[in-house]
Amino acid sequence: MKYHRRLVAIVLFAMLLLTFVFSLSAGQYDLGFLQVAAWCCHKLGLPVLQDVNVSAQQEAVLMFIRSPRTLVGFMVGAGLAASGTILQGIFSNPLADPGIIGVSSGATVGAVVAISLGVNAVNMFAMPAFAFVGAICAVFLTIGLATRNGRIPVLTLLLSGVVVGMLLGAITAALLVVMDEYKLQQYLFWTIGSLDYRRWEHVLMGIGPIAAGISIMLLMARHLNILALGEAEAKAVGMPVVKYRLILLLVSAMTTAASVCISGSIGFVGLIIPHMMRMLVGPNHKHLLPASIVAGGVFLLFCDSLGRVLIEKTEVNVGIMTAFLGTPYFLYLLRKNSSLEK
Amino acid sequence: MSNTIIQAEDITAGYNGQNPILDNISLSIGKGEFVGIIGKNGAGKSTLLKALRGFLPVWSGRVLLAGREIGAYQERELAKKIAYLQQQVELTFDYTARDIVMAGRYPYRKWWQQQSEEDKEITAACMKYTGVLEMADKPIRALSGGQRQRVLLAKVLAQQTPVLFLDEPAAGLDLFYQEEIFRFCQELCHRGKTVVMVVHELNLAARYCSRLLLARQGRIIADDVPERVLTDELLTDGYGVSIRSGRNPETGHADIYTLPEPMDEEKLRLLATIIGSDDRNAEKTAQAIGKSSMGGGEA
Repeated sequence: MKYHRRLVAIVLFAMLLLTFVFSLSAGQYDLGFLQVAAWCCHKLGLPVLQDVNVSAQQEAVLMFIRSPRTLVGFMVGAGLAASGTILQGIFSNPLADPGIIGVSSGATVGAVVAISLGVNAVNMFAMPAFAFVGAICAVFLTIGLATRNGRIPVLTLLLSGVVVGMLLGAITAALLVVMDEYKLQQYLFWTIGSLDYRRWEHVLMGIGPIAAGISIMLLMARHLNILALGEAEAKAVGMPVVKYRLILLLVSAMTTAASVCISGSIGFVGLIIPHMMRMLVGPNHKHLLPASIVAGGVFLLFCDSLGRVLIEKTEVNVGIMTAFLGTPYFLYLLRKNSSLEK
Repeated sequence: MSNTIIQAEDITAGYNGQNPILDNISLSIGKGEFVGIIGKNGAGKSTLLKALRGFLPVWSGRVLLAGREIGAYQERELAKKIAYLQQQVELTFDYTARDIVMAGRYPYRKWWQQQSEEDKEITAACMKYTGVLEMADKPIRALSGGQRQRVLLAKVLAQQTPVLFLDEPAAGLDLFYQEEIFRFCQELCHRGKTVVMVVHELNLAARYCSRLLLARQGRIIADDVPERVLTDELLTDGYGVSIRSGRNPETGHADIYTLPEPMDEEKLRLLATIIGSDDRNAEKTAQAIGKSSMGGGEA
């Protein structure tokens, strides 16, 4: 079996450009591909498509609605897919995803607290901030429960992730019981995950931690390759396993937290994208990680854009789209690829 | 001895805190030795290897590597001194053979450094030596047991350590691959490397190892050149079954085999149960087996 890495890179790059244009043009306010392309070229100062006219209104939509939404979509997708890749590597398990160490349930608790306190109506940054804190606390709780004599056994970590997830789920449920209907609706929107009304502020909020997280991950790809061989092998070649596992766990937790706190919880991207890319470019994280980052962003953008054009005059939330597109594809992969059964 | 490289002083160790698997073991291994650890399953062979490598903390006593206590080394430093091949390497992902061998170069790079040209040359040389360079880009899970084991051997060689610990590297391999692994190790020892290997293939151990340790219930009951360890008495004692050790007159190689236990009433009854479905048949079979094996025994 030979991986066609160059081909995958070219295809991913082409898809990146296409989905950006798709995302900028899709939506209730109709914009043609050509106009979007012309606007991009004008902005970049390229001397092409100068005869295509972009009205002030169109330009405003592109600048203040579509562009930030597109960037947020790409960032979140890239962050989730990168975190998923890292977690699958740390656990040497292709079924791990960012939800597994309590990040998502922690973020949800944070969001629910913000909603029930009503702070999200006062300040648009309140909910993401609460979600971020919740996610990070949940991860620390999970890791703390799993640590024994300075070791973090993988199985214990997975189990304590489940336990923390259940505990946080109970807290969320308890808070929901005392909420009024309007607040419940807000909660519902959070759990489904959406990129609606994301503005430049959201881009600025997320870009720091997500870009930093992804950079550290890329730098650590070689270590991840060793960790993914299993604990005993990693120790045999002199890796301080606990230290690296902890660093990578925290980095991926931070990246996931930064992603879900601006988009709401979006499933499947962190699970399916690394899995898919591993089949295309192989398990070496030097290739897998960059491929997953780009593919994750592209996938989320595509889902979001499709959700905007699928049904006229209404939007399908991106969280619903990822699940609808992700599930059948994942099932197809599972049936086709028997390597999981080994 | 001045060229001692590994020394264990009264080490006791185990897994769960109560029952020690290793019971006061002392030994010293010199440079260039090819040491085979033999003994029956559960005798503590692999545990000894883990304790000597520092994977398993010792409860008492100490392990010295080149005169320095093993716990005083940093993990990366230690990985440049001792390479360790596990008994079973379970891989989840389809890493290529080259990726696996490259892992052996891990201790030589600082955490921010990427692999260098030198690393690539060394890994290629190791793969060529063990004969797996042609399959470098194949996923390791697609290789046969023998090829896989040679890839893993290339990985520990890529670590460029003076000492190699191999835990049953020949297990489950066919005749040719088994012997080849022993041959590789002997070649390396002649050039100054030290190999400590857990072995089950006594006939091969007799021919290739320079020294054998016979383990029984967490103790070393014999430690000498192969000819003096592979005797009827020591092996029978070590393995707990009757063992005869002789020499093949044609090849001059050691010829080691176990003697069957005598047939007793209980065993005959068990055999009858296993073989016969119909009661009468069972009795007949039992009698027939009894006759033939008793007869054989007397003759």
